[in-house]
Amino acid sequence: MNGAELVIKLLKDKGIKQVFGYPGGAIMPVYDALYESGIEHVLSRHEQGAGFAALGNAKISGKPSVCIATSGPGATNLVTALADAQFDSIPMVVITGQVASDLMGTDAFQEIDMLGLSLAVTKHSFLVEHSSQLSSIFDQAFELAQSGRPGPVLIDLPKDIQLAPAVEQEIPPGKVIAPVVDIEKIKQAVTLIHESEHPVFYVGGGVSIAKAEDELNQLLEKYKIPSVSTLKGLGSVDTSNELYLGMLGMHGNPAANHGVQECDLLIAVGARFDDRVTGKLSGFAEGAKVIHFDIDPAEINKLRVADVAILGELKSGLQALMEQMSHENPERLEHWQQHVKKMKQEYRWTYNKSGDSIFAPLLLKQLSAKLGDKSIVTTDVGQHQMWTAQHMDFSRNNRLLTSGGLGTMGFGVPVAVGAQFAEPDTTVVVISGDGSFMMNVQELATIKRYGLPLKILLIDNHKLGMVKQWQQIFFEQRYSETDLSDNPDFAELAKAFGIQAETISKHQQVEEGLNRLLGSEGAYLLHIKIEESDNVWPLVPPGATNEQMMEKIYDAYI
Amino acid sequence: MMHTFNIITLNQPAVVERLLRVVRHRSFAIHSLTVNAKDEQLTIELSVVGERPVEPLFNQIQKLYDVTNIGVTSSPPTSRIDS
Repeated sequence: MNGAELVIKLLKDKGIKQVFGYPGGAIMPVYDALYESGIEHVLSRHEQGAGFAALGNAKISGKPSVCIATSGPGATNLVTALADAQFDSIPMVVITGQVASDLMGTDAFQEIDMLGLSLAVTKHSFLVEHSSQLSSIFDQAFELAQSGRPGPVLIDLPKDIQLAPAVEQEIPPGKVIAPVVDIEKIKQAVTLIHESEHPVFYVGGGVSIAKAEDELNQLLEKYKIPSVSTLKGLGSVDTSNELYLGMLGMHGNPAANHGVQECDLLIAVGARFDDRVTGKLSGFAEGAKVIHFDIDPAEINKLRVADVAILGELKSGLQALMEQMSHENPERLEHWQQHVKKMKQEYRWTYNKSGDSIFAPLLLKQLSAKLGDKSIVTTDVGQHQMWTAQHMDFSRNNRLLTSGGLGTMGFGVPVAVGAQFAEPDTTVVVISGDGSFMMNVQELATIKRYGLPLKILLIDNHKLGMVKQWQQIFFEQRYSETDLSDNPDFAELAKAFGIQAETISKHQQVEEGLNRLLGSEGAYLLHIKIEESDNVWPLVPPGATNEQMMEKIYDAYI
Repeated sequence: MMHTFNIITLNQPAVVERLLRVVRHRSFAIHSLTVNAKDEQLTIELSVVGERPVEPLFNQIQKLYDVTNIGVTSSPPTSRIDS
């Protein structure tokens, strides 16, 4: 057995049945070992596509997924996907080929110092220096990727080690340290909750990563405490909860932003006080006390000092909180609950727009209603992403995969590819914009190759819309490089990849267009032309606090 | 403020780069650095200066997988008088 064959055996031992990747010179021994190995390899058409497919697969399966690329450009093309996974805490094990050990440091063909490049974009990275390290390094990589706060782990694998004789080493089972929630801290949190009159739960992406949705929803229902969600937290709180105010932040619902700004106790759960959430940090929930639940010690007191910090796994943390709160009477907060319900009603989204054109927020609301009780929605980044977050309902079964921290255009299509492989029978919808779509458009070939029935909804305003919106509002309408009116004919482009497609531009066409999209047998692209003047509202301008939302009447921009 | 870290790490590839990257990225500057390799460990004494609170930097360094031990002491910056 050589090193490459051992790598494949180690992957099998970890339960890996499928990998994503793209071959090349310095990883050829691994690809040779993959051949007829029983592990299915999904070929992307660009390493970034493979990286994002692995990311989507990991996010849906909840387990580390594997991506493989060659050295040099193959490895550098993975950097964006690694950074995205690192930012949004997604478990991946990424294997890159490397030139042979004796050529490393000589500027050999397709040599790049991938270990050096990986430092800022991975949870950890390994360089294999001897084949005897393979068993241990793969064991550590899988453990690290999924333990604590998950993240991507890179293994850089020189070609000579892939070819060298290798023997599997016995790895003693790792000592998994069960996170213990400090019950004294929980009691302090209960005291703060008991003393508060206007508490709000601020729910982040950590809740779904920890699979702590049940505990969270039970607690919210039982004690009737209002809640808001970050972009990454969408789907964690049941949308039927009448005290749930939706997404907060720069493009959040005004009720969510006002709710947080008025609260006297903010209970952050798996959230990290990101600037897109807080607006001007010093004015965010100003004066409120803070309880912060997180598994990552580096998130505690990073941007907002917590009055009580509860470090550890969220599921047991929320469970312990619920048990310790048993004396809490939800009726005590009735005034606050009534006020929150009133705000929720007052600031509910409205969809009035005159004329024949398609109004994307309404279209997304219609799409959401048609998705049934199980679906996966991926987005790219920009206006369509924020409209999706605002106007679609997500849950534990209707999941949103979106690039939160890194904000990566080109995310939607390849992530949907990986998600569809994780759940072949689930409807997977890509919501993209005309800017983002072109950033990984080559992955249409992957959809074709594997016959994936992805439903692509491409919202096209012939603009790099979010940047255009900012130029319009904050840069005196100086539209620098945001015109995309020379886009290709997207329907024809899709058809060239064997994907059924149509273009619609009037709201009267939406209902049937969506039905054809979702009812199609195979992949389908619904190209939707919207008006370039439509913007995302509300908007908290830079430097402002979250109650200072800019609100415009949609008609004013027609 | 100056902060002096005493750190023990595994002697793995790139471990010092990881440490220095975190220090720079989290807005601190290096004042002094001593690294001693012994057996399979590195013993590192690192002094940094910066305006931000040291706790987030401490937490980020402690998170590095190869770091096995870490301590920090802080002091006001020493003033220097040139004659």
